[in-house]
This record gives sequence, structure tokens and C-alpha cells, in this order.
Amino acid sequence: MNPCDRFGVSEEQLRALVAEGLRAGGDWCDLYFEDTSYHDLLLRDGVVGSGGYHVDYGCGIRVLKGEKTGYAYAESTDYQSLRSAAIAAGSIAATVAPFRGGQPRQTSGCAGPFPQTTSAGPSLLRSRGWLRSAEAAAVSTPPVAAYYNELLPWEDAEVAGFIPFLKRIEAGIRARDSRVLKVVAILSYSVSDILMYNSLGELTTDHRPLGSISVQVIFQQGKRTENNTVSRSLRMGAEFVSDAVLEDLVSRTVEGMDARFEARRPKGGQMPVVMGAGASGILLHEAMGHAFEADFNRKGQSIFSDRMGQRICRPGINILDDATVPASRGACNYDDEGVPGQKTYMVTDGVLTSYLHDRISAGFYGVAPTGNGRRESFRYNPIPRMRTTYMESGPDGTREDLIASVKRGIYVDQFANGQVKIGEGDFTFFVKSGFLIEGGRLTMPVKDINIIGNGPQALADIQAVAGDLRIDEGTWTCGKEQSVAVSCGIPSVLIGNLTVGGE
Amino acid sequence: MITDKELDFVRKALDMAARAGAQHARATLSLSEEDLVATLDGEVDRVTHCADRSLSLALFVDGRFGSYSTNKLDAASLEGFIARAVAATRMVAPDPLRVLPDPARCCHDALTGNELGLVDPAREKVSPADRQNIALSASVLASLHGSQPLQTSGCAGPLPLLAQTGPSLLRSRLEEKMSPCRGLQGLENKPACWLRSGGAAADSAAPTEAKYQIISEEGEYSDSIYETVVMDTNGVCCRHSETSFDYGVEITIESEGEKYSGYWWDASSRLAELDAPACGRQALARAVGQIGSAPVAGGRYTAVIDAEMASKVVSPILRALSGYAIQQNNSFLMDSLGRQVFPEGLSILDVPRIPGQTCSKYFDSEGVATVEAPVVEAGVVKQYFINSYMAGKLQMAPTVEDATRPKVLPWPCAGLDRDAILRRCGSGILVTDFNGGNSNPVTGDFSYGIEGYWFEDGKIVRPVSGMLMTGNFLTLWSRLLAAGDDARPCQTKLVPTLAFAEVDFSG
Repeated sequence: MNPCDRFGVSEEQLRALVAEGLRAGGDWCDLYFEDTSYHDLLLRDGVVGSGGYHVDYGCGIRVLKGEKTGYAYAESTDYQSLRSAAIAAGSIAATVAPFRGGQPRQTSGCAGPFPQTTSAGPSLLRSRGWLRSAEAAAVSTPPVAAYYNELLPWEDAEVAGFIPFLKRIEAGIRARDSRVLKVVAILSYSVSDILMYNSLGELTTDHRPLGSISVQVIFQQGKRTENNTVSRSLRMGAEFVSDAVLEDLVSRTVEGMDARFEARRPKGGQMPVVMGAGASGILLHEAMGHAFEADFNRKGQSIFSDRMGQRICRPGINILDDATVPASRGACNYDDEGVPGQKTYMVTDGVLTSYLHDRISAGFYGVAPTGNGRRESFRYNPIPRMRTTYMESGPDGTREDLIASVKRGIYVDQFANGQVKIGEGDFTFFVKSGFLIEGGRLTMPVKDINIIGNGPQALADIQAVAGDLRIDEGTWTCGKEQSVAVSCGIPSVLIGNLTVGGE
Repeated sequence: MITDKELDFVRKALDMAARAGAQHARATLSLSEEDLVATLDGEVDRVTHCADRSLSLALFVDGRFGSYSTNKLDAASLEGFIARAVAATRMVAPDPLRVLPDPARCCHDALTGNELGLVDPAREKVSPADRQNIALSASVLASLHGSQPLQTSGCAGPLPLLAQTGPSLLRSRLEEKMSPCRGLQGLENKPACWLRSGGAAADSAAPTEAKYQIISEEGEYSDSIYETVVMDTNGVCCRHSETSFDYGVEITIESEGEKYSGYWWDASSRLAELDAPACGRQALARAVGQIGSAPVAGGRYTAVIDAEMASKVVSPILRALSGYAIQQNNSFLMDSLGRQVFPEGLSILDVPRIPGQTCSKYFDSEGVATVEAPVVEAGVVKQYFINSYMAGKLQMAPTVEDATRPKVLPWPCAGLDRDAILRRCGSGILVTDFNGGNSNPVTGDFSYGIEGYWFEDGKIVRPVSGMLMTGNFLTLWSRLLAAGDDARPCQTKLVPTLAFAEVDFSG
């Protein structure tokens, strides 16, 4: 099957649409076709009593004039609708648009003529019915990658089979904790088929599965109630619905609830913070990752705008944004500009070495795009976004070693959300659970506190990095203008001084 | 937009559902169109044109329920979609409590969609050039100093008056889109900070002598029209139409090596009431007002929360009164109906049907008619928000599914604005913006990052940032000192400046 067939367009029409978009004088035009189906099933009060599915289909057309963007989309892919969108997007060229940057760069892997249908190549691609042509693949570096597979296609799965799975989650939770009052479990999955084409003649397709389960439980102990919510999200097919995932969710749901009922608010103030491995990667996302997104730096807004090549934290620390973590929620075979997924070292040995680029910022800075041009859907133009952001393991022992080194501070390991002010660099994250550290030991459980710090200061104040990197697999969504699935991770780290909310 | 053709389309969709096996169904067709011009440093940076349409279906099949949506609206695609939806619904467990609302409770007076007078015909005449002119003329850089970064000092100028305009039903979506917030959330808790929409102006008494340079100015003008029609198999048919004109701007400045940003926005259903130029001045004043900000010593202080941000401490109350939260024991206001759980000073009234005020609406998503009704009256909880399904679950009479346009009434007297409240309070922290944070829906415990000003003798003394405000909502509200009379009408929730005693701040 020709990849264009799914969207009812021909290769000639793609070329014609690009030409239409550029007719008013634009420098660059790209097309982003999307066909997404989203399904969900909800267990509440012991029954799977509602479900749904949702279809989103259309094509976004972007025209660039220098760094200026024209964008329009059509929810129908008939040629006239697409042509109207191309003309609307092309109108950017008619605005006053002084040219300040370079041309969008040809990416390292997509140039070439249209792919031809073939039965050759990896089975994964054969199963999609098409494959990038040998000629195109020859200039593709890295080659076409598959950072996520759909071994059991969601579309072929029996929805009815998921119902007992959700019930088993509830049963497992209730079997392990008699304090359970209410359980809500939601299984959702989506499949997106993407086709991208641009004015360099690059054509790219991607098939993006994503499965997620979240479980919210209300516990009651005496007259007190507490809640706990856990989630798991991975880019894979229906094989995601597995006993291993079930066991993980059940275990984490009931884990730590004794401490949760005992938890209190600490006395607030500035103190050392040990951040547990995994979800504490929210620190990197908020405190550093956003500030490294190149649009903020191109506009001079980021607190890191003028610090490229400078040391920003101690030697030995490496911070990455990585599209290649297999099955991660942040994994991308290609970004939403057709740039191959790749691993980007933002901080190398303590030195700021790269921003996160889309094509616009890459042109501005004269570098290759890093595959960070992402978007929520065809309704949005791509902008620099993170994927899976993490810090590599360090040399400073274990989590316990870090805790033992703190006289009085706090240990945190579960989070709800975070935020950052780009210019000021002030970031926060909300801690669902943790412990006080007193005399090098975990003592009183704490919960529901916000922590605030400043990105550059926090980076410079990382005093120890343990060797226990873990990538979190929760349902993280980044909300910079658009909602995009991401992930984060970190080894246990000790930060010398952050401000902890309290009484 | 919605014409007889679209109405006929919705009827056909309901017929298709019936033919496919649904005993009952509700169909909601939504259409919208939006044009946007974004500026960067006084130049056009992005133009977009959006046209959306979607059909949502709630299907009741053999005692089972499912909800579905699609934007593939051609007949062949729709027929297949509905057949698949009916089949999917048959897979879930029966739930006899899933019913359409009683038609007697539904809206029958929203026939044209413009009963509230929220459609401005001026939008049809706005040209692409007009949009660029509006966006560019609102730019501080373009209007004062061309497009070059500006070296200046001192105050950004007199504070503009807040535009006395109304918002739109698209407000929450547009607020989100225009928000400069960059955040990360887990699925677990929707952070209330997600839709950060700026804060109050820096007070003219704030120190503004420092030199600064404008690093960037990002503005965004948009105009849109949104129309929706809800029909069900009980014969309900109600429509809503609304235009919206919006402008938001974020300005980043640098002073002595530190960066500060300020954001402001305005919105109205009428173009003539949009005051875009004021936004840039306000955003700049807010950024300048934060120059030199730092934490003050942690402690327990009076907190005055500016009207722009005060919904942050009201929204959790409304969420806790949701039937879903109550039914799931996921609320810090369990068993509160009819009880005095707040001080007498707190009254919240839902005012959903005021003509000309955007965010007003005649019906909720089930098609149930909205009514003016107290939510909290002199501290007594008067209403849970109970839709048809939750009514069965809770064995309670249904109401509406949510507050449409909640309004916090002034206390202890009418006419108080922020300055008057600062004078009444004497000293403490004026909160003009929140930076992250969240709350526990079960316990009501909260912890938010804040910035604003330290004030003494009713006057602003110095800017504050890098601090946290922590507590419990029931405790916080029990210490209510004042509710002003200065809510911004362009916001979805009409919440004025609020003051509370003895709030924990750490820094």
C-alpha cells in the first residue's frame, strides 16, 4: 500500500500542495497528515461500565518565511480543502518578514524520492505494506529505526478481553489492602498513522502506538481517607496489557500507604533534597529541559540563552534528551518534522553542549535539527519539545549513601506535576510523597508539598549522583502550549539546597 | 457555520445510532473557526487559520453506555463509525443508571444559539490585514521603539485600567493556548496551575528605578467563532454560538543579569471591547515590578491574593462539590451539603445566564438548562454538581454538571478593590502569581509556589519570589478576611481579590 493512499492523496498532489504553499514566496513548506484513533475503558465501582473511542483525522500545512510561520490545517484531505490550507499557510510570506536565519536544513536521513512499495526489508516495515526506498535509505543516517513495536496491533485486539484485566487490577489491589474504599482504573490506547512531506521532497511515515493505564484508589483508615494514583504508559501494542504491568500497578498502588496515613507536613524552608531515582526526572524536565529548548534561547528568553559551551554543573554530569529509549512514552522514530529520532546530549561532562532544536531554531543557529520538533496533533505547528529526558548514572554510590550524607533534609520519590518560569529559571514540582532525613536516616513521612528552586542554581548545586538511573514509565504529559507525551528519568541525586513548602 | 444543513446532519446521526441498535443517544456537533496572528518583538511571527468540527455521541445500548467522537463526518465514514461505536458499547457491563436527562430539566429556550447576544458580526469583516494591525499595534516594542530591543529605565508607565470586557465560552481553551506556562504533569493530578493566565499589575508603588532591557515581547491576537448544538433522542435540541477576541502578551526583561517576565491578557466576545494595547503595558509593568525580587523570611502572614489569580483557591472547592468526586469519596467536602463548612463571609453564586457576558451559557453538556443558584451561601454548602448519572449513583436529585459562571460575592462590604483590601490588612504578602503547586483532593491540603509583593501599612514595599504558600483549604477559608468586588469579567470564574489571615509561607 502506498503510504499516501491512507489519506487519499497522490504523490503529485503532495508536490502540488507544497508548490501552492510556497507560491507567495515562502522558503519552506511541510505537510503533516495524521489519522489517530483513541480508545478508553473505565472501571468504576467494580464494573467496566463505560468506554469510548475517538477519531481525529486531518492534515496540517506549515510554510516558513525565514523564521516566520504560517500554519493552517484541514480536517478533510480532499485536494481542495488541502489547497485552501496551503494558501492560508502561505500567506505568511506576504507579511513583513525580515530574513534573519538560515535555511531549514536537510535532515540526515529523509532526503530522496518517494518510497516505492516493496516487500523487502524488515518485517516490521513489511507489515505496514511499504518501505523507504533503497535510494532514500542510502542517505539515511541513522537508518529507519523502530524504537517502538506493536507486536499485537491494538486494532486487532478484542476490546472485551481488556475488561477482565481491569477487574483483576481492582481485585489485586483489594486483596492486598483492606483499607481500599474505591478503585477507578482506566485503560486507554491510541494509534496514530503519520505521513510527512516537505519541500525538500522528503517523505516520512510513522506508526505510533501508545498504551496507558492509570489507577486511582481511595483508602479509608478510621475516619481518615487518602488517595493514591499510579500509572504506566508505553509505546507498544496490546502486549502492553500484561501480567507484568498488572503486578506493577497493583504493587505500586498499595505501596507506602501506611506512611501516607502517617505523613505530615514538614517545617518548611531551605534544605538539602535527595531525589529518588526515576520520577525525580521531573527536576530535569522543569529545571533544565525547558530552558534548553532552542525556541526560548533563540528569542533570548531562557536563562541559559548565553551559556552554550559553559560549565553549568560539576564534571561528570551528563543530561540527555533521548528519542531512542525503546517503547518509552517519549520515544520517536521521527519527530513531527520528519527528522529521525536521536539522542541529544544537552549537558556533557557538566558543560552545556546542545539546545533542543526544531528546524526553525536549527536554521537560526546553523546546526542540524535534533529531532525535537514535536506537536500535539495536526492542529498545531511543531515547536521544540522534549522526549525522554534523563541524567546518566553517576559515581557517587547508592541512594542510601546519598541519604546517609544528609544531616537534615528531605527525600522525595513521587510527584504530581511541575512548572518553570523560563526567564527567571524558577521551577517547582509537587511532591506526593517522601520522607524527612534526620541524621542520615529516613524518618517522618511527608506528602503534598511543593518544592521550588532555580534551574541554574540547582544544576550547580548537584552534589552527588548515584549509579541507579531509572527511566520513569508514568503517564507524563508536557503542557508547553500543546500537550505532548514525554518521559523522564534520573538516578538518585543530592541537591544541596532547595526551598521546601511546609508549616 | 451551524445551519439547517448541520441540524439535519445531527438528526441523521441520531437516526444512524438508532438504526445501529442504540435505544437512546445524544449527539453534540461543535464547529469552530479561529484566525491568529502572533508577534515576536514587534514583527509578525506566525499566522494560523483553524477550522474545526467534531461530532460527539453518547450512546445508550441495551442498558450499556459509551461515548465517542469523530471529525470524519462524511456519510460513509460516519455510518461505519457509529456501527463500530454501538458494537463497542455492547462490550461493557450494563449500567441501568446511565440515562438521558429528564427532558423537563433540559434547555428548551436556546433555539438560535445567540439568545445571550454573544456573537459579534464584526468578526466576519476582520481581514488578515486587520488582524496584523491589531497584533502589531498592541506591541509595546513596535509602538514605542520600533522592533529593536529597548534599553530603558524606570517605571513602564501608568498602569492601564483593566478592560471591562467579557470572556467567551472558549475562554479556558484560549487561556491555555495563550498561557506562557511550561509544565509537566502526570496523569494523576491535573495541576490547577495548568492554565496560568498571568497576574495583577505590578503596583505603581513598587520599586521601578532599576535599569532594564526588554529581551523579548511575544504577543498573540486571535478571533474565533464557536458554535455547538446538542440533540438527543428525547427531542432535546439546544444551541450556543459565541465569538471571541483575545490578546495575550508576555514580555521578558533583563536587569543586572537577571531575567524577569510579565504576562497579561484580555478577551471579549466583542471586538470593540478588546483592549489589546493595554496588555503590553500591563505585562511590562508586571515584569518590571519583579526586578530585584527575593524571598522574605518564612512565617505566618496575611495573604492577599490578587483577583487575577484568586480562582486558584476557589476552583478546588468547586471540584470538591462535583458529584463524581463526592461519589468516589475523592473530596474534602464529603457530607457537606447543607452544612456550614465555610465562614459566613464566603458566598458563591452561579450566574450562568447573564446576556452579553461571555462564559454565560443556557445549558450544560447534557443539554440540562442552567439556572442561577447559590453554590455556597454564607458559608453553607447549597449545591453539589450532579449530572443524570451521578444522581442515580448518589440517589440524589440531579442539578447541573458544573458551575457555569461562579461568582464569589463581596464581603464584608461591597466595593472593595485590591488597594482597599491591602489597607484593611496592613501588612503581609500580596500574591500576584502562582508558580506550580497542587492540592490533595481528598484532604484539601495544598502547596503552591508564589510571587508577588511584601506590603506594609497597606502599601507595597518590595517584590517577592521563590516562596511557597502551604496549608489546607478548609483552614485557609476559615481565616477569610475579605472578598473584594473587583473580579475580572473576562475570566471564566468571577473571583475577586481575596484576603486570608495567618497563612504559612516558606522561603
